Amino acid sequence: MEIQFKDVSYIYQENSPFAHKALEDISFTVEAGSFVAVIGHTGSGKSTLIQHLNGLSLPSRGEITIGDFLLSSEGKPKNIRDLRRKVGVVFQYPEHQLFEETVAKDIAFGPKNFDVEQEEIDRRIERLLPAVGLPAEILERSPFDLSGGQKRRVAIAGVLAMAPEVLVLDEPTAGLDPRGQREIMDMFYQLHQERQLTTVLVTHSMEDALAYADKVIILNGGKKYMEGPPLEVFKQTDKLQEVQLDTPEVIHFLNQYNERFGTSLNYQHQTLQELANEIKGQLEVESDE
Amino acid sequence: MNNALIIGQYVPGNSFIHRLDPRTKITVVFFFVIVVFFANNVPTYSLLTAFSLLCVLNSKVPLQFILKGLLPVWFLIIFTFILHLIITNEGNVVVDWGFFKIYSGGIIQGFAISLRFFLLILTTSLLTLTTTPIEITDAMEEMLHPLKKIKFPVHELALMMSISLRFIPTLMQETDKISRAQAARGVDFRTGPVKDRIMAVIPLLVPLFVSAFKRAEDLAMAMEARGYQGGEGRSKLRELHVGTKDILILIAFVLMLAALFVLRQ
Repeated sequence: MEIQFKDVSYIYQENSPFAHKALEDISFTVEAGSFVAVIGHTGSGKSTLIQHLNGLSLPSRGEITIGDFLLSSEGKPKNIRDLRRKVGVVFQYPEHQLFEETVAKDIAFGPKNFDVEQEEIDRRIERLLPAVGLPAEILERSPFDLSGGQKRRVAIAGVLAMAPEVLVLDEPTAGLDPRGQREIMDMFYQLHQERQLTTVLVTHSMEDALAYADKVIILNGGKKYMEGPPLEVFKQTDKLQEVQLDTPEVIHFLNQYNERFGTSLNYQHQTLQELANEIKGQLEVESDE
Repeated sequence: MNNALIIGQYVPGNSFIHRLDPRTKITVVFFFVIVVFFANNVPTYSLLTAFSLLCVLNSKVPLQFILKGLLPVWFLIIFTFILHLIITNEGNVVVDWGFFKIYSGGIIQGFAISLRFFLLILTTSLLTLTTTPIEITDAMEEMLHPLKKIKFPVHELALMMSISLRFIPTLMQETDKISRAQAARGVDFRTGPVKDRIMAVIPLLVPLFVSAFKRAEDLAMAMEARGYQGGEGRSKLRELHVGTKDILILIAFVLMLAALFVLRQ
């Protein structure tokens, strides 16, 4: 589903001393099937933006189109439930939303609310478990007995079990160890490709944005600061530094290396390690000549 | 968030009223609440109204905001007014519909009682609007200090109060977050049959309790790790002290009280 923001503003507690503009005249488009990363500091409006993607908040001004759904200040569309089913949101620390007695029941909670048959739910769970990296034995255990990483996977499975067409991820790797982070992000990327999902990832990891996104949107103080393909955005180091954002390590290294030695190495999704090997290879070729 | 009721909300500011020692404010409000019941004629009521309006003006909290915030209470005020209108039968008859008479005494009485009520709520909410909850608990602890002599656990009580106050916004945020997460999973808190709506509270309450207990455990652990052991010999980060402005306002208040008793019939 395509997502379109048109001049969207959102004001918290309008007409009170606490009124606060969280989003200001934001416009952008997320094409169907694309992977978009939204980056910004705390307080830049990222989380507010997410709540607009499934109608939890409605814009104070402007319009949002998500597939056939239209959200505006005029009120919720009647079929908001359909929208919520089609847009799966994995909130920050999703394990905090677990509540059922068993893992199986918790995963089934979402689809059940949307009137999916129990048989179909069982089928979905069967397919999902390996995808999120959970063993089948876990299904009958209490979600509160699991480790932090497992809890998060259960919570993610609970959102995926609704079979959403749009997946919204709010810093899904916060608080995980580096290996867990990589595993979870790889898992999302795989799902994104297999199911042709439209994915919106909110993060402050430049590395993740670079590795997975087709497009990067940078928010600053509730306004859109930059938008474009990751490589183009991350090229503008100075502009990023103005809002205290760093370029990803690899890009930073590559820029400096090219500048210093007059080379023109390109970024092709290498890791730092791969890049080092590449340079080593080139140097060996040169010294042989 | 519940915007309807503003009692208990704090509006940050740096006015004279904001900067007063919380003990001064509590004392003044305490006596004001009593004194309101002594007013019995136009000058005394005007005096009290003027005093509280001056305080509101000084605090720079928009009057409009306060009035809007007191909306739920307006109902009570109007109800009191109408009640007095109906049941009082003193003075001259103003309206006479045969079975139903309104006396001038009723109008005056109704107006006076409603005003009394309004002043009470206005000043007490001004106290919480201009004083942080932490300041209030600190002041309470100080003021209850004499009770220590009879082994009343003043410090522990104050600690419990400040912890619970401290965690109200946290829990509200948490509730907000969890209800959003569950709404995203298709829970509907607002529509549908009552039974469904009651059931919808479970996915909200369970995680909320789990996190509250976890928070309590973490907090207890953190306090223990830093060797916390309550009252005796503990110094304060924020020392309360009575300054010139407190003495000023107290004198002004006492003068107002004196004037009140002179003007009173």
